[in-house]
Amino acid sequence: MPKPDLLPLTPPVFHILLALADEERHGYGIMQDVARQTNDALLLGPGTLYGCVKRMLAAGLVEESDERPDLELDDERRRYYRMTALGRDTVRAEASRLAGAVSAAKAKLGLAGGK
Amino acid sequence: MEDPGFVRGLCRVYAAMLFAYPRDFRLEYGAEMQQFFHDRCRELVRANSGCSAWFRFGMRNLMDWIVSTVREHRAAPRQTSGARKLIQEWAVTLLLFLFVTTTMVQAYVVPTGSMENNILIGDHMLVDKVGFSNTGNNWTSYVLPNRQVKRGDIIAFRYPQDVRQTFVKRVIGLPGDHIQLQNKQVIRNGQPLEEPYAQHTSTHADDDRDNFPTAAAPAAFANHVQDGEVVVPPDMLFVLGDNRDNSLDSRYWGFVPRDYLVGKPLVIYWSYDGSTKDFETWNIEHLEDVALHFFTKTRWSRTLTAP
Repeated sequence: MPKPDLLPLTPPVFHILLALADEERHGYGIMQDVARQTNDALLLGPGTLYGCVKRMLAAGLVEESDERPDLELDDERRRYYRMTALGRDTVRAEASRLAGAVSAAKAKLGLAGGK
Repeated sequence: MEDPGFVRGLCRVYAAMLFAYPRDFRLEYGAEMQQFFHDRCRELVRANSGCSAWFRFGMRNLMDWIVSTVREHRAAPRQTSGARKLIQEWAVTLLLFLFVTTTMVQAYVVPTGSMENNILIGDHMLVDKVGFSNTGNNWTSYVLPNRQVKRGDIIAFRYPQDVRQTFVKRVIGLPGDHIQLQNKQVIRNGQPLEEPYAQHTSTHADDDRDNFPTAAAPAAFANHVQDGEVVVPPDMLFVLGDNRDNSLDSRYWGFVPRDYLVGKPLVIYWSYDGSTKDFETWNIEHLEDVALHFFTKTRWSRTLTAP
């Protein structure tokens, strides 16, 4: 179960978890995937990214991976990160919390779903 | 692919900026952050980015750097290692000490008896360096309480003939005052002064000491004598010692420029009965004397009194 005090996640943490949902990535790969998810609205800088990673490691949301999948771009300075089971539960809980917030907003603002 | 020179330069700048992060964070993630930064630069080069893209990249990284250094420093656990703490505390103490002694108070010892019987040989005093307004254009004069120099104030100042020495005398004349001594009696602006603080040790009247100014007055007064009176020029002070017959003061070397004013003697923190040479130069006999007679030769009644 996700720890309730982790929610709500900050946008960078939420998107970093999403970036790691399908595969292990190194820092720059995370940043690129977050940019794709958000249409370049959220461009993580190195300080913000690694600050988040440090806290997510401490909270047990992500862990370091020993595997190095990206062979051609590999560099020994890179570390790869993967999401833990706790991370997966937490990002799910955050996604449904956001979905609840979005449907509440739609009801209040009279927005047609999807259009 | 070889990086363009400016990319290598940017990477070096970024590597230096990493030193703003807490040490632990830098050691753990610094290399990766440099790699990240380098990757981003390479991508911009590959995309043939123009100036505006590089500018946005630079600004974004600057913001990221500012925000995340502050955040990481807040999050960093305080260093509690004993040695480090000790060094920090002493550094703060030392800085405060330097600040206070250079701008606010300074300790002096009086080696001569020119201000007897108000200030004695061996009086160790703290001088308040910010109590008079505009002392050396010090910024503290805008912040801390201060006032103009008045007639009768005891002041510490740099001796104009040798600025390494600090003298303590009493202000007799302010700019514009007419000063004259007739047979040991000071006459200021035509009025004989009542001077309960002054002492005279001889009955003999010397020229230029007890009758002043005479034709033999120091050259410093050459253009400042009118009708047998010295007129204090702007931004100058005329000072005399209280031990009037044994005082090397304005009568012998001229005016004190206002800028040479150091401050106001604040408190005598220790008064020790010794001779002029003991307090002028360091000597081992004096140290021995203090060690042996500290309790008997300290003038306890003067301790923590105002001069």
